[in-house]
Parts: sequence; structure tokens; C-alpha cells
Amino acid sequence: MEIKKLIRKFCRNPLNIISFFLFIFILFTALFPSIIAPYDPLEMDYNAFMTGPDSQHWFGTDQFGRDILSRIVFGVQKSMQIAFLAILLASFAGTTLGLLAGYFGKWVDQIIMRIIDAMFAFPSIILALFIIALFGASVNNLIIALGIVYTPIFARTIRGSTISLKQQLYVLAGKALGKGDINIIIKEIIPNLGSILIVTFTTNFSTALLSEATLGFLGLGVPPPEPTLGGMIGSGSDYLMSAPWVALFPGLIIAVIVLSINIIGDGLRDTLDPRNIK
Amino acid sequence: MTLSYILGRIISAIPTILLLTFMVFISIHLVPGNVIDIMMGTQNYLSEEQVQELTAELGLDQPIIVQYFKWLKGLFTFDLGTSLRTGEPVSQMIADKFPITFELALMSIIFSLLIGIPFGLISSVKQNTPWDYSFRVLGLVGLSAPVFWIGAIFIVLISGTFTNYTLFGFVPFLKEPLKNLQIMLIPAITLGIMIAAQIMRMTRNSMLDVLSQDYVKVAKAKGLKGSKVIFKHALRNGMIPVVTTAGIQLGYLIGGTIVVESMFAIPGMGRMLLDAVNQRNYPVVQGVVAFIGIMIVLLNILIDILYSIIDPRIKLTD
Repeated sequence: MEIKKLIRKFCRNPLNIISFFLFIFILFTALFPSIIAPYDPLEMDYNAFMTGPDSQHWFGTDQFGRDILSRIVFGVQKSMQIAFLAILLASFAGTTLGLLAGYFGKWVDQIIMRIIDAMFAFPSIILALFIIALFGASVNNLIIALGIVYTPIFARTIRGSTISLKQQLYVLAGKALGKGDINIIIKEIIPNLGSILIVTFTTNFSTALLSEATLGFLGLGVPPPEPTLGGMIGSGSDYLMSAPWVALFPGLIIAVIVLSINIIGDGLRDTLDPRNIK
Repeated sequence: MTLSYILGRIISAIPTILLLTFMVFISIHLVPGNVIDIMMGTQNYLSEEQVQELTAELGLDQPIIVQYFKWLKGLFTFDLGTSLRTGEPVSQMIADKFPITFELALMSIIFSLLIGIPFGLISSVKQNTPWDYSFRVLGLVGLSAPVFWIGAIFIVLISGTFTNYTLFGFVPFLKEPLKNLQIMLIPAITLGIMIAAQIMRMTRNSMLDVLSQDYVKVAKAKGLKGSKVIFKHALRNGMIPVVTTAGIQLGYLIGGTIVVESMFAIPGMGRMLLDAVNQRNYPVVQGVVAFIGIMIVLLNILIDILYSIIDPRIKLTD
């Protein structure tokens, strides 16, 4: 199918277009935070402790007099970075496991899927919490922990697609012609996993962002003073009565980011769903 | 037939349970440093001999697989070791805290079903009307808002507008049922919003599928009233995927209790786990995580059984 047609279909819903441009803006913010942020996120303004939103500090300041908008901008960068790398890790690990289980079947499938089942028994946030509890909180450990947490989802999805792909005629024909397994997996199966990978990637990217923020909120995210959205809400919730903006603005931004990704994800699913193609 | 299916399901869960408990057990051994050092914290003044004695006492000198089976045996006889901080048995701690978390989770599920199903139903019956659009947008927002942000908004709003409303200060249900329910209400709603959104979306999709089926068209053509068609013919079938969603959300729910309990100062299992993580209280972490894993495996079996009650077409045979 042509890309042009797909784009036109995606753009039919105005909400998709708005979310797409919003996401591009967020991406730009994450890539070049210093252009957007008015202050240094760690700089303390001794004349402005917990001041409400005004013309100088649009989103107010926190208990150390740091500019909340600037901290949000840099927090977005850190959160997006962690969530993106974690999902990238999960998609590599999960795709590999799913391909092996789905393509080879039998005992390979049994072993891999039993492990995946066992991992599924843990709520994602508890599994992440457990891994962080064992190895400590740092950016790298967060990426690894969330990467492990999201691997089973990819493995299960890819396994399902692989099983149906391997029964397709062109794969069977390739086998009959004597093509090797590795050759078939790389040349015939992987290229056909594209759209399912894109959809799984986007939907899980947004939940990974939420998981990262949750860990930050619980005090198990990136250690302070580095700003993260979840961490800002966590430390800000001590001042909900006196200075609600400290916690509420970062939360609003997470919600907006996740919302835009979810809308894009929904849109992509509708666009790429073969049942919807007329 | 039914019983053999249930038994079969339980037997098939055994390898999963063994594997997940093994993963929990082995991960603790991956932690840098040995257990004695961790137990003693920074005040490790034990002599070499004392360390060896303690190692033997805790069975740490035995092969890891032997240690695992000892721990597993303990798990099934409700002996999960003792808290490194208080010396209290971990199983007792879970028994004390779990009912509180269970109450919170149950209230959340009830809330989300009460909101999610009717909203989803209206959305599907009135497809592509302003009602449908606003519920769908509401659903997406509910799905995207982090639970701790919703909690923060509730705290700010309620303590600002209803100054008489007690948000904090947990009391056990058996002591003061009404006050307990009042205090648990807002945390339960906070936790339930995301699930309500999921259930709403699922109900809508599933009902749209069902409403376009031939048997529904036939029922309409027979001249049945619209409401009768929906409630008698469509809803029951439309509910099947919704049960799955509710089941999948159980994990999210249990995870979410950690956040909600620490926000609203509810002394449940989630908060106990978070405290244990912060204190590096490994027996408690290990015990609670294994307990949650096993519980979710068992709950999934329960949901499978629940299916067959809703949908008699699913035969309880393996």
C-alpha cells in the first residue's frame, strides 16, 4: 500500500493531526530543552520560594526557588529518553524471543512462553519496583528495569504474528526451495512485522512514560536533583495545600504527552488495520 | 466436566507459579553483596565466626536450589521469614495489610464498572453523536492521566472546597465502617478512573461489534423494543471482552495501590512494599512480590471460570 494513501487516511481525523504536531513540539522540547527552558533547571532563585505562576515564572517555583517550567522541560527530556530507550530495548528483546518462540515452536516455544507467562504475573510497576529495589535507582537501571518489564508484551505480540506469517504460502514456498531458517526469518518474516511493531511501540511508549513517572513519584526514579516529571510530583505533593502548582503542572504535562501519544497510537491502529482498508 | 477443567487450569498454573517464585528468589541473590551484610546494614561488627554461624543458621551455605525449595516450602506453609526491621513474621504482615488493599481494589473495580459500562453502552448506542464524542474524549483523558496526578487534583479540590471532608486518617472497616468507607472512597475513585476508561472503551467497541450482528438485527426486525434488544440480546455477549479487560487490569490495580496508598496514607500492602523497598528489607520485598505474583495467576484462573458463566458457549473442557 502506498504511504501517501496511509497519510491521507491518518489525517482524516483532525485530532490525529493536532496530536501529531503536539508530539513533534514535545519531541523538539526533548531534543533541545535549553532553547525552550527560560532558566537553568537547577538554579535556585532565593527571592522566589514557592511563588505562584506569574510573568517571571510561568508555572511558578518550587520549594527551592527553582523554575518549574524549566524543570518540566528538562524533565520531559529525561523521561522521554528513558521511556524510548526502555521500549527500544524491550522491542529488540521481545521481538527476538517472540520470533524464536513463534518460528521454531515446540520446546523453544514452551520454554520462552513459560518464562513470559511468569513475568506477566507481575504488575508492571511491581516488577520495575522489584528490579530497582535490587539494583538501585539510576538512569541505566531504570532503562533496563522498564526494558525487562515491557519485553513480554512484545514477545507475545510478535510470537502471534510469527505463527500466522510462517503458515503463509510464500514462506512455505521459500522453505520448499530450501531456504534456511535464518534466511526466512530475516527476509520473509521480519519485514512483515513492521506495522504491528509500530503500533506496539507507540502504545507501550506511552505506558512506559507513565511507569517511569510513577517510579519517580515513588522516589525510585532518577535520583535528585535532576528533574523528572514523576519526581517533581512526588516532592511537590508535600505542598499540595500551600503550593499546588508544584505538583499539578508536571502532572498536566505528563497527561498531555501521554494523551497525544495515545491519540496517535489509536490513529495508527485504525490506519494500519487491514480491516479498515477499503 | 467443569471440575476437571478447573483442576486442569490449576495444574497448568503450577509451572508458572514455580517459575515466578524461582525468579523472585533468585533475583535477591543477584544483589551485589551478601545477605548478611545487607541484614546487618552499616553496623556489621560481627566476627568471622559469628558470620559463619549466622550463615549456617540461615542456610546460606547450602546450594541455591536447596535454599529455593526450603523457601518455597515456607511459602506454602505461610512461613516467609521475618522482617529485618521488626522481626515480625512476613506472612503475618501480609495477612494484616492485604485486606486493606483488597478493599481498596474492590471498591475501585466496582466504581470503574459502574462508570465504564453505562458510559460505553451509551457511547455505542448513540454512535457518532456528541454523547459518543464526549465520552470517547473523556475515555482517552482518563487513560492518559497519571494516577498520582488525579490523586493530587482530588486532594487539592476536596480539601479546598469541602473542608469538613476527612481525606486522611485511616480507620479499619471493622472498627468504624462508615468512616472507613468515606476515607477509602476518594482513593478508590482515583485508582479506578483509568480502569473505568479502559472498560468504557472496551464496552463501546465490543457493543458496536455485537450490535451489527445478524441476531441483533433479527431481534430488531421482530419488532422488539430497542432497550430489550440491547439488554436482553446484545449486552451479555458484549460483556465478554469487558471481563477480559477487567481481568487484565487487576495487575494494574494492584500496582496502583502502591501509589494511592502512599498518597492517601492508607496502611495497606502496597505501602508496606514501598517501605520495605526503601529500607532494603528483602524478606518482606520477596514475600510480598511472590504473594502478588501467585495471587494474580490464581485470579486469572478465576476469571477464566467467570467467562463460562457469562458465555455458556465457552465449554469448560480443556
